[in-house]
Amino acid sequence: MISASSGTMPKRSGRLAALTRPAEWQFALPLALAFIAFFAAPLFMLIGVSAFDDDRITQLGFAMWRKFLGDPFYWKVTIDTLELGLMTVAASVLIGYPLAIVYMSSGPRVQRVLLFIIIMPLLLSVVVRTFAWIVILGHEGVVNYALMWMGLTPTPLRLLQTEFGLVLSLTQIEMPLMLLPLISVMSRIDPNLRDASAALGASRWRTLFTVIFPLSLPGLVAGCMLVFASSTTAFISQQIIGGNRLVYLPLLIWQQSLVVYNWPLAAVAALTLLVSVTAVVVVISALGRRGTRYLNVT
Amino acid sequence: MSKLDLNRRNILAAMAAAGGAGLMPSLAYAKGSVTAAMYPGAWEDAFRGIVAPALKKAHNVELEMQPLFAVDQIAKARASRGAPPFDVFVLDPGPRITGIDSGLFEKFDPKKLPSLSKLPAGMADDWGVGVAAQFVGIAYNPKKFPTPPKTWTDLFREPYVSRLGLTGFQTTFGTVSIIEIAKMYGGSETNVEPFFAEVKKILPKVAAISAPAAQPGLFQQGQIDIMYTNTQNAGTLKARGVDIEFVKPETGTIAFFTTMHIAKGAEQANAYKYIDTVLTAGVQEALMKPPYFLAPVNRDVPLGSAGLPLTNLNQMDKFIRHDWSKINPLRAGWIERFNKEVAK
Repeated sequence: MISASSGTMPKRSGRLAALTRPAEWQFALPLALAFIAFFAAPLFMLIGVSAFDDDRITQLGFAMWRKFLGDPFYWKVTIDTLELGLMTVAASVLIGYPLAIVYMSSGPRVQRVLLFIIIMPLLLSVVVRTFAWIVILGHEGVVNYALMWMGLTPTPLRLLQTEFGLVLSLTQIEMPLMLLPLISVMSRIDPNLRDASAALGASRWRTLFTVIFPLSLPGLVAGCMLVFASSTTAFISQQIIGGNRLVYLPLLIWQQSLVVYNWPLAAVAALTLLVSVTAVVVVISALGRRGTRYLNVT
Repeated sequence: MSKLDLNRRNILAAMAAAGGAGLMPSLAYAKGSVTAAMYPGAWEDAFRGIVAPALKKAHNVELEMQPLFAVDQIAKARASRGAPPFDVFVLDPGPRITGIDSGLFEKFDPKKLPSLSKLPAGMADDWGVGVAAQFVGIAYNPKKFPTPPKTWTDLFREPYVSRLGLTGFQTTFGTVSIIEIAKMYGGSETNVEPFFAEVKKILPKVAAISAPAAQPGLFQQGQIDIMYTNTQNAGTLKARGVDIEFVKPETGTIAFFTTMHIAKGAEQANAYKYIDTVLTAGVQEALMKPPYFLAPVNRDVPLGSAGLPLTNLNQMDKFIRHDWSKINPLRAGWIERFNKEVAK
């Protein structure tokens, strides 16, 4: 540990010298301190608050955990929240992956336009995006107007305040989170591999499945994790597009913390959201790793 | 070594001096300012446009605002015990009771308000003072319904029910409207069971069950054509060209007051000047007019033209009022119940 040059020094100051010697990890120090102060400490406070029985935070106990975990309704809400995330991930993969392939195979000018379109949702405030979806999906909205004009439906369809409408709009809102990692990984794939695959007689589909897909998997996994975590916690979109008949964990957290001031129960709901979303993200990343290994072996 | 120490001392002294100098103007500035929590949106616009200039002119006090909904003000004040993030609260009846129970307010002395004599009796107490009235009833789109709805139960009948937008117990206006609906079906201020029983029957027909903040947008977009709401929301939408009319239900319009309170530990002199400025007839009248639509509590304000459901503040007694000290303890249970009943 102690270098030869500091060997003449007493041991203690030698250790200090070793610590204060310039090293790479010191660059991460400000971030680490901010992380401890503004994330780790509040997280432990959250865990602490959840271990109280009453909304005045005076009586230690696990009554809120028992209430939450003992109520089938809250289980249903948790599962619905995860389901919403998974459906959004599925939809954004189905739409996003082909789009990423189109992006990769287009020329630089088209790529610039596509990139702008992809990033566009990020440039708009979430409130504007969400209200735009009300205008599109509403009773007298663009979609219903078009459907009725074409004679496909005599009365307006209910699109707002349905799970379908919510997944649809979340897919659009979260799409950049899927596409940006996907495109950045795909653009690092050596184009020679594609040509080599073709030269060896593989069809375009075979090249896609055995060459491009395995190599793009890290980007796909990163995109899935981001979309999942972001859509399960998208409080404003869930509230405004989904309405109050679709109950998800963020709504419960908001109600308990800000309307009825039952912070222990809010903390329990928040930790449930954190743990369940993290669990699914870990599973996605594990599947991604196994998939990469499997595809590389075969 | 000693030189280093001297340097450090010098630096510290210089820093202290600089800090002190930096502090001084801000202290002087604080003398002439008050920080008020304010509802975002129409209220914030109104107070920036009307109250801030009036306060500056009358008392040379600067108004600084923190846009926060009532529930957020309570949450923030509770989280920062002893060091209030603002001097004056503006609250609905429910959060007001929570604030009193949590000991967030300084004892209020109504005699320090020169405008007190202009207010109806009972407007001020040891906790605070009412600064605006809110009236709750039914709002509907007259282009969609040839006959206007008459009673609360009409909301649950065709043709209205399939165009109805419901909200839960998160807001004051939602809570009191649901109580009135429950009363029509045999419930009371503390028993909303009949509401839940009826809601279950009509759930598949209802046009939307929405977050209160989303409701005006849904009405404007034609997703819903009838809802319970306050005169201010209805007035704001109407001023934007939306087809909307406010109806007084047969059993009467609901009224409650928005109150102001001084935060515990706050600097009080400017807080009283600010609250009194809000209560002066000139300010109250300006706040009543479009586009703000805040119903006044000062008796000197001529009502008539503002589309309010009363012509004289003395009629206030005829409106339906609620006892929030009874409602508050039940509200958490009602919110949970509402989630469970309406969830798909």
